Amino acid sequence: MSPPSEHERHAHFLRHYAESEVALHTFVRSLVPTRQMASEVMQDVILVLWGKFNAAADFQGWAFGVAKNVAMRHLRRQSRDRHVFDDDLVNQLADDAISLVPVHDGHREALERCLDKLPAAQRELVLTAYTKGTRMDELATRRGQTPMALYKLLHRIRQALLECVERTLAKEEHA
Amino acid sequence: MNPDSHDLIQRHMAGLLTGDEAAVLQTRLKADTDLRRLYLHYMNLDVALEAQAGSRDRVIDLLRAAPLTENKSAGRWLTWRPLTVAAAGIVLMVSAWWWQGSQRVLATVVNDAGVEELSNGAKLRGETHSLKGGSVELVSARGARIVIEAPAEFRFETEQRLRVMRGRLSAEVPPAAKGFTVVTPSGDAVDLGTRFGVDVPASGAAEIHVFQGEVIAKASGNMSNQSLRGGDAVAMDGGASTARELRSSAFIQPDEMLGLSAGLAAGQRARSEAALTGMRNDPALIALLDFESGEAQPGVFRMVQGRWPGSRAPEFVNVGDHLKLDVGGEREWLQLTLAAWVRLDQLGAPYQSLLHTDGWTQERPGQLHWMVTRHTTMRLALRGNTLAPGSEEQEMFPDSKTSVLPEQGRWMHLATVYDSGSKTVRFYLNGRFDKETRQSIAHPAKLGPGQIGNWDYEDRKLSGRVDELLLLGRAMSDPEVRTLFEAGNPYR
Repeated sequence: MSPPSEHERHAHFLRHYAESEVALHTFVRSLVPTRQMASEVMQDVILVLWGKFNAAADFQGWAFGVAKNVAMRHLRRQSRDRHVFDDDLVNQLADDAISLVPVHDGHREALERCLDKLPAAQRELVLTAYTKGTRMDELATRRGQTPMALYKLLHRIRQALLECVERTLAKEEHA
Repeated sequence: MNPDSHDLIQRHMAGLLTGDEAAVLQTRLKADTDLRRLYLHYMNLDVALEAQAGSRDRVIDLLRAAPLTENKSAGRWLTWRPLTVAAAGIVLMVSAWWWQGSQRVLATVVNDAGVEELSNGAKLRGETHSLKGGSVELVSARGARIVIEAPAEFRFETEQRLRVMRGRLSAEVPPAAKGFTVVTPSGDAVDLGTRFGVDVPASGAAEIHVFQGEVIAKASGNMSNQSLRGGDAVAMDGGASTARELRSSAFIQPDEMLGLSAGLAAGQRARSEAALTGMRNDPALIALLDFESGEAQPGVFRMVQGRWPGSRAPEFVNVGDHLKLDVGGEREWLQLTLAAWVRLDQLGAPYQSLLHTDGWTQERPGQLHWMVTRHTTMRLALRGNTLAPGSEEQEMFPDSKTSVLPEQGRWMHLATVYDSGSKTVRFYLNGRFDKETRQSIAHPAKLGPGQIGNWDYEDRKLSGRVDELLLLGRAMSDPEVRTLFEAGNPYR
């Protein structure tokens, strides 16, 4: 049997990666202090996964191991290793992230509609806060708030969104 | 919920968690499963909001940036290090996946049989599609395999959610796509693996049919859900779910698509048209129904797609569905050929009526009933005829040897040739001679008023489609039946 073509390997890899992407990114975010670092870690993770991709292996289990190692490397490099969770917790988080994939998929699917249900001002705020390049101290000043007040407001909005997506999942509404 | 824990999560999300706080959070997360769940819900939300903010009208510099430069204006979100070209391609392609929303490909066309609006390889995003004729096979981004038959109108809302306004589909859902949902005007079907069909007619209740695995049916306006397993079917209407009989043949499934598209590519449709023209010119022709003329036929049935893209065929679903016919008058036929292209369901019912002349009376010897029996064989019964001694049949009437209902739906060609001179009934399935039954008494055949799909005396169901019914006042030979089948075969 001839070895898979590059194109097939590429497609195969993307299929596996796409399935695990949600859980991996959530897991990585749970280990590192900022969204930025989580995205940087994910970049490296995908490169390692692609470089060592073996179609025969258990992709998900292996990918989580890679994600954990890459995250640790980034944390140590940035002298943030005082934030490092211990192995037990990291493994618990990995297991939970995997088992929560269906729920998290549901949350993500419901998120767009829940965002649309927010008052326009709140929606704009949360989307602006999450846009790349937004500096929170500048945003706070523009709004005439202290950074702390801004963070608290943001978190209240996130709480509302989480409640909305959970409710959506529980009620199984459809548009 | 301990407010301090919530604060800690909040500070983590803001990027403000100190080392000491992280240690406290760790202790709590290790001990409290619910807190860990909540923590991960927030992490998921954090990542998802990032993606939302990115996909809503923001410039996607990423896809246009040269891979080897550092893109400072994007706020250090991405620091590019020297990458190999292949790897850069991967990151760019996968980054396209990260920006969820309208950019994302939700499904791809892998096979199209006569669908004008979509072609092989077409990428579907969130747009609405209207198909006038044919069938199309799609694979979703998570590997769900879906066949949609026209006429249909649908759109993908996400890679796991397909909204169907009208049309008929079958779906094969692998574990990666577990939870794939079909949304219809009267309810949703959530697949938990693996194969099911959904029929959304132009008007009336949407139906879910489960071939294998488990599907959760949620009728709109109804709070409770119903679990359906292989062999179950329901109609959802006004919040209520009614159990239906499984229509095994109503749905084109993925493995049928290859044959259908190959048939079209090989020019089978033109061949079939030519054969029909030949039949129309046959001096012995009694009737040829191809249902294309658009004339309303008397009866109760649904008009759906026939063998060819955009063609028409009556579909009989409920008890009482029928199509009225009146051909041949009081004339007697010493020889008769009956042939039809059908797509029939496996049913519990004792008989499926292909053609039943009205009544069954000794005043009309030779009147004809053509049907599929409970044993799934084809039967040709003429009033007053008797079997020759030594016949295998248990039930007094000539039956085919082979079952004419396939396990899974397909178009089949059924043909019977009756010859009162040689006192024989010959059965053919897909052009192939199946069996000959000899009769002792063999009256000339009589037609006259009758029905497809039912019998005026007592309900006889037909479940499925009939496309092209041919009645010829002579006996076709074996090679002729074979040619008729081969010309009209939609498959290759």
